[in-house]
Amino acid sequence: MSTATAVDERLAPTSLVRRLLGRPELGAVVGAAAVFVFFSFAAPSFLQASSLSTILYSASTIGIMACPVALLMIGGEFDLSAGVMVTTSALVSAMFSYQMTANVWVGVGVSLLVTLAIGFFNGFMLTRTRLPSFIITLGTFLMLTGLNLGFTKLISGSVSTKTIADMEGFSSARALFASQWNVGSVTLKVTILWWLALVAVATWILLRTRAGNWIFAVGGGADAARATGVPVVKTRIGLYMGVALCAWISGQHILFSFDVVQSGEGVGNEFLYIIAAVIGGCLMTGGYGSAIGSAVGAFIFGMTSNGIVYAQWNPDWFKFFLGAMLLLATLLNAWVRKRAEAK
Amino acid sequence: MAQWDRMGSKAPMTAHGPLWRILSGWNRNDRFLAAAAPDGGGRRRTREGHADVARVRTGVRVVGAVLAAVLGASLVGCSSTGGKRAEDRAKAAQAGRPAVSTPRWTFAMVTHAGDGDTFWDIVQKGAKEAAAKDNINFVYAHDDQAQQQAQFVQNAIDQKVDGIVVSLAKPEALKDVIGKAVKAGIPVITVNSGSAQSAEYGALTHIGQDEQIAGEAVGTELTKRGKKKAVCVLHEQGNVGHEQRCAGAKKTFGGTMENLYVEGTNMPSVQAAIQAKLQADPSVDAIVTLGAPFAPTAVKAKDAAGSKAEVDTFDLNESVARDLKSGALGFAVDQQPYLQGYEAIDLLWLYRYNANVLGGGRPVLTGPQIVTADEAGKLEEFIKRGSR
Amino acid sequence: MTKSVSPTPYEKSSAPALVQMTDVSKFYGNIRALQGVSLEVHAGEITCVLGDNGAGKSTLIKIIAGLHRHDAGRFEIEGEETVLANPRAALDHGIATVYQDLAVVPLMPVWRNFFLGSEPTKGRGPFRRLDVDFMRETTRAELLRMGIDLRDVDQPIGTLSGGERQCVAIARAVYFGAKVLVLDEPTAALGVKQSGVVLKYVAAARDAGLGVVLITHNPHHAYLVGDRFVLLKRGTMAGSHTRDSITLDELTRQMAGGSELDELSHELERVAESGPEHPSGAADPASGTTAL
Repeated sequence: MSTATAVDERLAPTSLVRRLLGRPELGAVVGAAAVFVFFSFAAPSFLQASSLSTILYSASTIGIMACPVALLMIGGEFDLSAGVMVTTSALVSAMFSYQMTANVWVGVGVSLLVTLAIGFFNGFMLTRTRLPSFIITLGTFLMLTGLNLGFTKLISGSVSTKTIADMEGFSSARALFASQWNVGSVTLKVTILWWLALVAVATWILLRTRAGNWIFAVGGGADAARATGVPVVKTRIGLYMGVALCAWISGQHILFSFDVVQSGEGVGNEFLYIIAAVIGGCLMTGGYGSAIGSAVGAFIFGMTSNGIVYAQWNPDWFKFFLGAMLLLATLLNAWVRKRAEAK
Repeated sequence: MAQWDRMGSKAPMTAHGPLWRILSGWNRNDRFLAAAAPDGGGRRRTREGHADVARVRTGVRVVGAVLAAVLGASLVGCSSTGGKRAEDRAKAAQAGRPAVSTPRWTFAMVTHAGDGDTFWDIVQKGAKEAAAKDNINFVYAHDDQAQQQAQFVQNAIDQKVDGIVVSLAKPEALKDVIGKAVKAGIPVITVNSGSAQSAEYGALTHIGQDEQIAGEAVGTELTKRGKKKAVCVLHEQGNVGHEQRCAGAKKTFGGTMENLYVEGTNMPSVQAAIQAKLQADPSVDAIVTLGAPFAPTAVKAKDAAGSKAEVDTFDLNESVARDLKSGALGFAVDQQPYLQGYEAIDLLWLYRYNANVLGGGRPVLTGPQIVTADEAGKLEEFIKRGSR
Repeated sequence: MTKSVSPTPYEKSSAPALVQMTDVSKFYGNIRALQGVSLEVHAGEITCVLGDNGAGKSTLIKIIAGLHRHDAGRFEIEGEETVLANPRAALDHGIATVYQDLAVVPLMPVWRNFFLGSEPTKGRGPFRRLDVDFMRETTRAELLRMGIDLRDVDQPIGTLSGGERQCVAIARAVYFGAKVLVLDEPTAALGVKQSGVVLKYVAAARDAGLGVVLITHNPHHAYLVGDRFVLLKRGTMAGSHTRDSITLDELTRQMAGGSELDELSHELERVAESGPEHPSGAADPASGTTAL
């Protein structure tokens, strides 16, 4: 019966619509278009080139983290410590440089090592204890929040770091992590380039490398992956270290663009990354999603958060919009999965 | 201070230890299926084991090299400008010994500060220094939720402290528990917000002024500067103190003022939101931030949006002082948080020691003070050491 | 390790057994999961492991597949005593296991599943990438060889029928040069017709020269294709027979035991012409006597 139906179905040509329906980003792209059109009418200043660059900047700061978080979610795990890890990375960089009176680049390097170590710790604890990643990274989240505040106060005596803007290496580091160009009236930030590059690399990894195949497999069926010889442990640890790497990029951007870092920053941002990834088509249960989707999700987030300001609405309702969007995206994804698993 | 020095120089060493351990852990994990075979694993296993060891050695060597490079770089790659050394050069040693011979009392301070709030950090600093001088055992707790704040006050009562300092952001929530403290014979002083309720609840006195009054000072100053349309940037949605500041400014401001909520924990989004606001409404000619750390961000947003608006702020910090001096900021309004903490503790001590009460049943104001470019220069040194 | 074995390992009895287990035991703490089980697998033969739920079938399969290590007894692969460190090591020895869940990832396309864990790549350094065209083509061709004509190898494997998925898993094992194919209850969740299709592919794998271990609780399916039968009961070996030393009737009797026998008898009528024969006393030239 099975072979017979398969042959019958073959006769129907694969339509473009059907193929598009199978893409994980579909829901997000439709949503993005709807939000764009909506704000184009609702907010007169929304379509200005300068406004769009603001939106892109906003989207890029979320998107840089949403991208590795999406990969992690495809791999079937969460990272609740992603938001504060960004702050940790910036704090380590600033405080190391300041306390050692070292060239700023030394602090940036140390920060990279520390941040990667945190990512490794997350992955290692997860694979070792086999507890849900929700619990493990919630623990890391709380610990980092405490460490951020504790160490900052212990070392610099206040809740924010001291400025390192007058130290050697600052300007070159700023050029890499926080530079901007003026094209006419439009200001383009370097984070947009980081963002696009990261999405491109992540897409390449996901769709065209063995590691990408493993990420899908680990998230879609860890037992099956293990049985076919996929290095599950290494893949998971690698994914967490990927999040850490991007947290480092993000953290350095914050440091070099705002000079000082407050120890309380970053809390709650982990949910924005997860929201962007989910809107972009990642399944909460893993095994399905895309890096491009996370970028579209971040863009929707950028449009919504700034669009409400452009529209001059009462921003009290912002969170409601965000929540509603998340719910719609999740419903759409559930439908897609049902379609994929239907026999 | 000397202790911090040691911390700083030791940091790379301590980083080395755990990293090393984590690495060997990674090795164990990598092999964890291979480990603990019951008996005679055969040639194949042995060889695999060797390969593992070799792999780990390489890994350790690589990390060792990276660490060595970083350490080397931190020695060689010193910055000749700024940094800790510059601070040390500038810093004179401060002795923190008590100047009185009263018994060691315990005073508790409970505030509505959020985690990592810069304003309250200075309040705490003032209180600590007063405590050191007055031979006080100083205990500090804070939570931005009134319920938890009340719990902390209750904890202090349970511990039979000798005095309580409390801020009344949501006075009603703390009324009962302050009543309990007073009944238990513990002197209470209120700080910062709650000047209207302080005496009624039975507190000795109130130090500092309501956020509302600080806001009104901003409104007056903006009007004086001839501003027509202002935006009040609230970096924490639902914070009573923030709402009061903006409400106060709105009350005395001659032009129109709008509120803008931003995510205070996400600096890039703060910038983007302010930028968006300025792009949406080019007629805005003043931006007021409610916390010192957000002022430089607002300046960046203003520049990126090509707006001519003036940025003003509540509270002070190092970069605010710098920007005031350079003219990037218009003015800052200061409530002297150091004084709020210092005076509260010192007045409790005076009450215990000598039954002195200041203010005669009326709030003792610590501000507001408008700080402009001229004053900023004078205050810079104090701001840098974290007491303004 | 010993990949350069004789070019024709298919002749029976000339080469050592592909897999030979002698008195293998496994304990989980003080729980005896498996005790004194012996089994052999030869090229071009199907060894069936029969037993009810909890008889120790899955423990046995995990030892062969390298997921667990045995605690006692000998485990030889092509005459060499071996301890499998992990599933990868089992694969390196040419032992491929098709689990009940088929070790496929439902949301992934068929071609990605086919090559999962052994993906072919091309290019170098940072440009080392999956050879996608080769993967798609090979998957299509290999499945066609097994008689499955897929409309689209890009469809998620979860959209295939149970029998088709089973066949993809078998085709994958055959393609990757498995010498021993371990099948865990391949017909358990399938209807009669689909079971038949799957058994056809099992026989095809045998004819291709593979040694097959077929785990099942269905003696009818086992007797259709099996050459050797190992019966498990509560972790111990309840019998070991070659095809010519036992009848389906007897096999079923041993499997089911007294009271359930009558209920099953009507199923046996059509094949019961060879008549009953007492098994435990019967000589078993290949595998020796039963244990316990």
